[in-house]
Amino acid sequence: MRRLRRGLVRAASEISEGVRIALANLVGARLRSFLTTLGIVIGVMTVIAIVAIIQGLNASFESQISTLGAGTVYVSKFGWFVAGRDAWWEMRNRKDLGRRELEAIQREALHASAIAPMAMTRGPVTRAEKEVSSVQIIGTNAQYLETGAGSVAAGRFLAEIDVDLSRNTVVLGAELVDRLFPGATAEGALGKKVVVNGIPFTVVGTIGRRGQLLGMNMDANVIVPYTTFLRDLGGKRSLNIAVAAAPEDLPALEDELVGILRRVRQVPPDKKDDFALNRQEQFLKVYRQLTGALYGVAIGVGMITLVVGGIGIMNIMLVSVTERTREIGVRRALGARRRTILLQFLIESSVVAALGGAVGTALGLGVAQLVALLTPLAAAATPSAVALGIGFSAGVGLLFGSWPAWRAARLDPVEALRYE
Amino acid sequence: MDDALILVEDLCRYYEVGGETVRALDGVSFAIERGEWVAIVGQSGSGKSTLMNLIGCLDTPSSGSYRLNGADVQGLADDALADLRNKEIGFVFQTFQLLPRATALANVELPLVYRGVSRRERRDRAEAALAAVGLTNRMHHRPNELSGGQRQRVAIARALVGEPSLLLADEPTGNLDSSTGEEIIRLFDDLHRRGHTILLVTHEPRLAARCPRAIRLTDGRVVGDGPGAEVATLTAARVVHA
Ligand SMILES: Nc1ncnc2c1ncn2[C@@H]1O[C@H](COP(=O)(O)OP(=O)(O)OP(=O)(O)O)[C@@H](O)[C@H]1O
Ligand SMILES: [Mg+2]
Repeated sequence: MRRLRRGLVRAASEISEGVRIALANLVGARLRSFLTTLGIVIGVMTVIAIVAIIQGLNASFESQISTLGAGTVYVSKFGWFVAGRDAWWEMRNRKDLGRRELEAIQREALHASAIAPMAMTRGPVTRAEKEVSSVQIIGTNAQYLETGAGSVAAGRFLAEIDVDLSRNTVVLGAELVDRLFPGATAEGALGKKVVVNGIPFTVVGTIGRRGQLLGMNMDANVIVPYTTFLRDLGGKRSLNIAVAAAPEDLPALEDELVGILRRVRQVPPDKKDDFALNRQEQFLKVYRQLTGALYGVAIGVGMITLVVGGIGIMNIMLVSVTERTREIGVRRALGARRRTILLQFLIESSVVAALGGAVGTALGLGVAQLVALLTPLAAAATPSAVALGIGFSAGVGLLFGSWPAWRAARLDPVEALRYE
Repeated sequence: MDDALILVEDLCRYYEVGGETVRALDGVSFAIERGEWVAIVGQSGSGKSTLMNLIGCLDTPSSGSYRLNGADVQGLADDALADLRNKEIGFVFQTFQLLPRATALANVELPLVYRGVSRRERRDRAEAALAAVGLTNRMHHRPNELSGGQRQRVAIARALVGEPSLLLADEPTGNLDSSTGEEIIRLFDDLHRRGHTILLVTHEPRLAARCPRAIRLTDGRVVGDGPGAEVATLTAARVVHA
């Protein structure tokens, strides 16, 4: 027990001594330490800045993507991500999706928990002398909200009877409430008349604020029964159909939808689908490809500069070992073991590197903040990035400091004491 | 003889330099009891430092045996030698060998750091050791803020702080003027009277003459061993200690 305690105290005091010596040497040779760590500072700064920006992008992207239902398949003529003009023209020339497809899905998609058509157009919405131009007008049914499209803030959503009777009822997005009824609460809009694309509608409800999706304002819209939409606002548009399911049913649902749609649209077995099933996941996939490439660049740049920085540290530690040969001799004479000397120099190189890493991290976060201020990009600094920046630099110091430290530990005490 | 603090028998240390063998120590034997104060004298190159390094466990002999405190030092691993130096031996060097960036106190604490003594005890003992050499008011000075004599006293405090069995001083007055050197020697005298065992390498016959015993080396061999006053003035003939 006593021996163990002594050993622990010895290890602890050697480590704290090592850190103390390292710091004293740092202060003693400020300019040199600064130059030594420059490589590490720049490397860590670059990596941290890029990572912070990516993480910022991630955070804003995730909050945006969540406005699309996670468990929703969007059936459409167009795929969300089109590779090339030919593919786009091919999609353009497809048959429109219409009521036939909608009704077939409603009849046969057993895995669906909600099915909502989405007919869309843009047009002005006015009330008295107030006008909001180019509003997204969505024609849908009572199940629309269940496909992950927000929730009611005031009043009610469209009911089945609104759809069945093609009523002129409308649900307003949050921004429309703000702009058409300035100063009023959401309730203040209920029962009021607004004119959508020249047709009068009665407000029955409002939707809570949803924010942006990739620059698209998700609150600047109005929602009307799709039957009314097709009758009054344009019947010749292709429908999109949002089909929701429990997450575990999604693969089955997709298979089901493919079968239903191919049959209804009479796609010959040797032809490809003439429709697209879009999912939130596709956004994520494309997004991850983009940020993955960015990460790759960050890691590449970071590695190169860290190696350069590490070589700088190795060089300066070799100089330091030579300069302090007599000190090493003295320490050995006073009872320092080889591994004590090794530890001391390892601590020194990793403390120097970690300080460089800390400075680099601070600068990197500064750069990221600057980018966030000057561009629409967001930046977020997670504690893990900071810990990683500092820890990684310390590791580089440890790695590149090990050869000089080994040389120091191997010195013969008599030779070292005689060294001029 | 068995309870001698130092017992060396036929100790040899050879160096190979450019194909030639330099016999720095060539069959040295003697014993030193606890509490003795022994001067090692001899001309430059006679092997004094080489002998001190071997006795200080900084170096290992080419042949011969060395027992410290009854224990064979031969064949000890490097770590064990380091621990032995830490516990049993206090070094005082001609060039002081203080760490330039550390205060006097930190310098004196160093042997205790390598022994795993707690911070508080380290401080207390280092302060006491510095007080014992009369440096209470210089504890927080760095070496370059101290005079030569003061530096050497810091070094002596550092050598003493771990309460070693043996104090090894290789020309401790070599870099000091004669009156400061005298101060240091008086300090050794004092330590001797308090029971410390001291081995002192010196060039100056005057200093050796003050030691109760002196060993003279010539070309790596013992050519005189006896009372300091006799050996110090001796030039060649061998004095056999009674
Ligand atoms: N590392 C070494 N390599 C080769 N020869 C050495 C080495 N160290 C000492 N010697 C030789 O050993 C002999 C004894 O040297 P040592 O340093 O012990 O002498 P000294 O008595 O201490 O001399 P001084 O009074 O000048 O300090 C000398 O001839 C020296 O050249
Ligand atoms: Mg010498």
